[in-house]
Parts: sequence; structure tokens; C-alpha cells
Amino acid sequence: MQMTMRSFFIGLALAIVFALIGYEANRFVAYMIYAVAISAIGALSLNLLIGFCGQITFAQGALVGVGAYAGGILGNAGWGGLSLLGAGVFGALVSMLVGLPALRLRGLYFAISTLAAQFILSYLFKILQPLTNGVSGLVIKPLSLFGRPVASDQEYAVICVALLFLSWAFIARVMQTNVGRAFLVVRESELVARGMGIDVSQTKLKAFLLSGFFAGLCGGLFAFTSRLANPEAFEIGLSVDQTAMIIVGGLGSLTGSIVGAAFVTLLPEAIERLGELLPSADLVSAFREMAFGILIVLFLLLEPRGLVALARRFGMRGESASSVTARLGTGVVQSGVAVSAQNRREA
Amino acid sequence: MLALQLTIAGVATGSVYALIALGIVLIYKCSGVVNFAQGAYAMLGAYITYFLLHLGLPSIVAVLAGMALMALAGMITERLILRRMLKAPIVSVMMVTLGLLIFLRAVCLAIWGPDQIAFPQIFPSGAIDFAGIFITYNYIAAFALASILNVGFLCFYRFTSLGLMQRCAADNSRAALAIGIHVSNQVSIAWAASAALAGLGGTLLATLGGLSLNISDIGLIAFPVIVVGGLDSLAGALIAGFLLGILEAFTEGILTPNLEEFLRSVSSIQSVGALQQVIPYALLVLMLLLRPQGIFGRRGTERV
Repeated sequence: MQMTMRSFFIGLALAIVFALIGYEANRFVAYMIYAVAISAIGALSLNLLIGFCGQITFAQGALVGVGAYAGGILGNAGWGGLSLLGAGVFGALVSMLVGLPALRLRGLYFAISTLAAQFILSYLFKILQPLTNGVSGLVIKPLSLFGRPVASDQEYAVICVALLFLSWAFIARVMQTNVGRAFLVVRESELVARGMGIDVSQTKLKAFLLSGFFAGLCGGLFAFTSRLANPEAFEIGLSVDQTAMIIVGGLGSLTGSIVGAAFVTLLPEAIERLGELLPSADLVSAFREMAFGILIVLFLLLEPRGLVALARRFGMRGESASSVTARLGTGVVQSGVAVSAQNRREA
Repeated sequence: MLALQLTIAGVATGSVYALIALGIVLIYKCSGVVNFAQGAYAMLGAYITYFLLHLGLPSIVAVLAGMALMALAGMITERLILRRMLKAPIVSVMMVTLGLLIFLRAVCLAIWGPDQIAFPQIFPSGAIDFAGIFITYNYIAAFALASILNVGFLCFYRFTSLGLMQRCAADNSRAALAIGIHVSNQVSIAWAASAALAGLGGTLLATLGGLSLNISDIGLIAFPVIVVGGLDSLAGALIAGFLLGILEAFTEGILTPNLEEFLRSVSSIQSVGALQQVIPYALLVLMLLLRPQGIFGRRGTERV
């Protein structure tokens, strides 16, 4: 996941272009732009955890929910722009709690413990009525920035694209530091990581902290744009959606997270357009879900490395993300194995 | 008295849950796949049986044909999807079964709609009065059928030669291959058997509580309890099923009303909602921290 100057400026240029489009376009286009940007922030956060650090989690939906409620409550209390930061911080704190079992459990069993976190959190959203207003949902005032409420979809599009760019640049930068490289080693082999002197527990918690922050941010933006935090929005279905995004886009690829988020967010819109031919609304939602289910299965069967790999296969230029991480990953592991083998010989 | 009533209701639904849990464990033992779509099989089985009953088939034929069709569905799933994913990472396999769950739900939604359907009476109506406790025939029949199948399946697994081959394939697939067992076929059989069991379980759940898409939720709700029993233990799955049923009955019957009364007196919280769906997960968190391999599971089961 090398972020060269070139890819930084390409990202910046794209962000500016989309922000401008969002600012000038009609409400519907602006809505699609911020919807994609928000899910992309969530997908980046999830890819950090699953794709880079190898910690499979199904609690993403609930963490986005934590961010939405935290952002909404703080925003209603008049925190303004700080409420987005607050959403991230709460997301990070809860994410650390969700990640605690990762210190003792691995792989499948850890994934199941996050499933538990997902169910328990979405249950709490429903019953903690004084905080969350229960099943009827929490109504949220518009985000106020610099003392002025942000009301139009166009402005939200600009804000969301800007935050997506910052999140992407930040995560890409982290992946170039020792912390980011430690994530990759932990994903490849915890034993090797330990052999190299990496504190595995601490590394995992850092991954949960970072990922939780961006999940919370995603939730905060979701709350302010939809103006309503409803427990039903943050159930296991959202976790599956987000995981589908990073699988469709490509596990361990930042570009892929954004492409996958766009794909998974825009697909239902497209089907909704086609679905106007169908007789009933139930059928439309059934077909949307069916297409989504088939999409996940087909992607996993035919192109498990996602759209990014697909694009490369057809000779398109692009960031060869998974191969970079793969190379980096195995390189590190090989040197790690060499180190640990050497240690054993000396011992 | 209430406790006894709840225990009986819990044991009856629990025996049905055990059928579904058995399937999850069977697939996990044989192929290492965690099948989140098991609940969807239960739902699909119930709808298929409903459809066959609607065609005018006699109950017993409809139930058996439903199971046979479900076995076919399970086998097709394994052949078309899971067999191609042998080397895929664990997150992909989990996601594929989740995708399957979403897909099957959507198919049933498209065909049968979102509303709850009254399931045709396949057992005689009425109830027996047992020391002041009323038990409907539905519950008795569900319990009897589920128990027979549970025991029957365990016997098949334990005493027949096909069952022996199943156990070989599950225990050590390389050694099984070396002595001439077609492991892939055994995995297919395991999927077929577990889909058929789940299909029957779904039908029985529909006779108890009506037919709706929500039957598929049982797959995810049963999950924590199966982990508590041990993912690789068939006996654990049986006990897990009963435990889940009883837990659910007691939560609904005793814990929820008392807790709500308490919460109303100390706070503005009016209802605790579907507490019975969360209790198993709370139990799971405790269990994972204390004894991750489950009560009956072997140490070292997929902890790494």
C-alpha cells in the first residue's frame, strides 16, 4: 500500500473533482456522492482491520451505529463540528472493547465474538431509550459548522468527499509507518510478529482503535446526512454490506475499498431504477437483495481479490494494491522467518 | 408450576433447535465451513413443505418430499459453491454463506411475500392436560419427531458404515483419502443431511409459531449456543439446542417481565425488547473468555 506523491495527487485531484461535481449538481447526484463517500470511509476502516490486520469482524455495523448515536447526541447538544470528532472517538473506544477478545481468540472464534458484540450493541440501541430514543429513532439536528447549520445535500457532498480524502490519505500514510507494517505481519503470522519483537496485543488494539475511529466518523456523517439514527439501520445487515464492499473492491486494497463502496452503494439505486418495471415494492426489494446475495457469492467464487484485481487483469493501470501488500507481506514474513530461524540456531 | 410449563415448552422448541444445530456442527466437522446459511435452509424447508402441502399432498409425503428437496439443495450448494472455495480464506467462506442467507431470504420474499403465513395443521389439534399443565399436540409432535430424528441421526453417524466414513472424513481427511474414502462426496453427503435436518426443523418451527422469513434468524441466534456446546461436538449441538430452547422460554416467561418491572420503577425504560435473542450472545461472550473450546469441544479447535 505505497502512497507515492503521484497517488496522493491523483487522489487529491479526484476528491476536488467529485467535491465540485457534488457542489454544482442537483440534490440526487449530491446524495449519491455523499452516500458513496460515507460508505467508503466505513469500508476503509473495515479494510484496515480485515484486509490489513487480518482480524475478521462482524461488528462494523454496530460501530457505525455507535458513531451515529454519539455524533447525533453531541450534535444535538450543540458541539458543532466537534461532534464528528466525538463520533470517531466513541467509535474508537467501543471498537477497542469489541477487539479485546482478539487478545485471546483468533480467526473463527474471534469472528463469532464480534458477532456477539454486533447483536448486543444493536440490542442496546433499541433499549437505551433515554439516550437513543429506542426503536422510534433519534432525530438529529443538521450539523452546524462555524456557527452555521449545514442544510443542503450539496454541502454535505463536499464535506463527505473532503473527509473521505483525509481518511484515505491518513490510513495510506499509517500503512507506510512501522505501525502499519506491523499490522501486515500480524495478519501473516502472529508467531513471526512475536519473533520480530512486535507486541501483537498492542498492534491489534491499535488496529481496532484506528478502524473504530473511522467507523465512528462514518456513523457520525451518516447521522447528520440522514438526520435520523434508527437502530434498524445498524444491524448485522450493515456489517454484511460493509464486508461486501471490501470483498467486491479487494481485501487489503484502499482504492478497492472506495471502488467497492461505490459499487455496493450504487447497485441498489440502479436496481431500483430497473425495478420500477416490477409490479410491487416487495418484489423490488427482493430482487435487490437477491442481486446483492448473488453478487457476493459470484465475486468470492470468480474474483476473490475483487474489482481492483479484475481491473488489472484487463490491463487497466491502477494501483496494484493486493500484489503490493502480498509482496510486502511475504517479504516481511520471509525475513521474519529468517530472523526466527537464526534465533533458534543461536539458542 | 410456571417453571415446569416453561421447561416443557423450552424442551420442545429446543429439540427442534437441536436439529438445526446438528446440521451446523456436521458441516463444520466435515469441511471446516461455518454455515451461517443454516437458518435459511430451515426457512426454505418450511416454505417448500408449505408449498407441497398446498398442492394437496398428504402431510407425511409433503414433509418427506420437503426434506428430500432440501437435501438436494444442500448438495447443490456444496457442489456449486463451497467445493470451489476449499482454499479460500476463512472470511471469504463466512461471507459466501452470509451471501447465501441473503439470497435465499430474498427468493422466499419474492415468491411468498413478507407477511406471516398460517401454516396448515399437520398434526391433530388439541392439548393434553398433564398435572394442570396444558401441552398442545403440536409441541408433543414436534418434540417427538425432532427427538427421533436427532437420535436416529446420531445412531446413523455412530453405527452405520456410511456414518463411519463420515467420521473418518471429518477426523482426518488425508488419512480418509488414503484409505479410499471419497472425501468430497462425504462432504456433499454432510451438506445434504444437514440441509434436510434443517428443513425439517424449519417445518416444525412453522407448525409451532407460523411461517415467516424470520425463521431464518434462528441460524444466527443458535450460533452462540453451538459455540458454547463446542463447534465440533454433535452431543454438544444437541445439548446446545435444548439449552437455547429453555433459555429462550425462561427469558421470555420470567426474566423479561421481572426485569421490565424493575426497570420501569427505576428508569424511563419501558421495554427490554427481544431480550431472548441477546441472552445467548451474552452467554457466549462469557464462555469464549472462560473456555473457548466449548463444554464438549476438543481443546485446540480452531482457536488459532
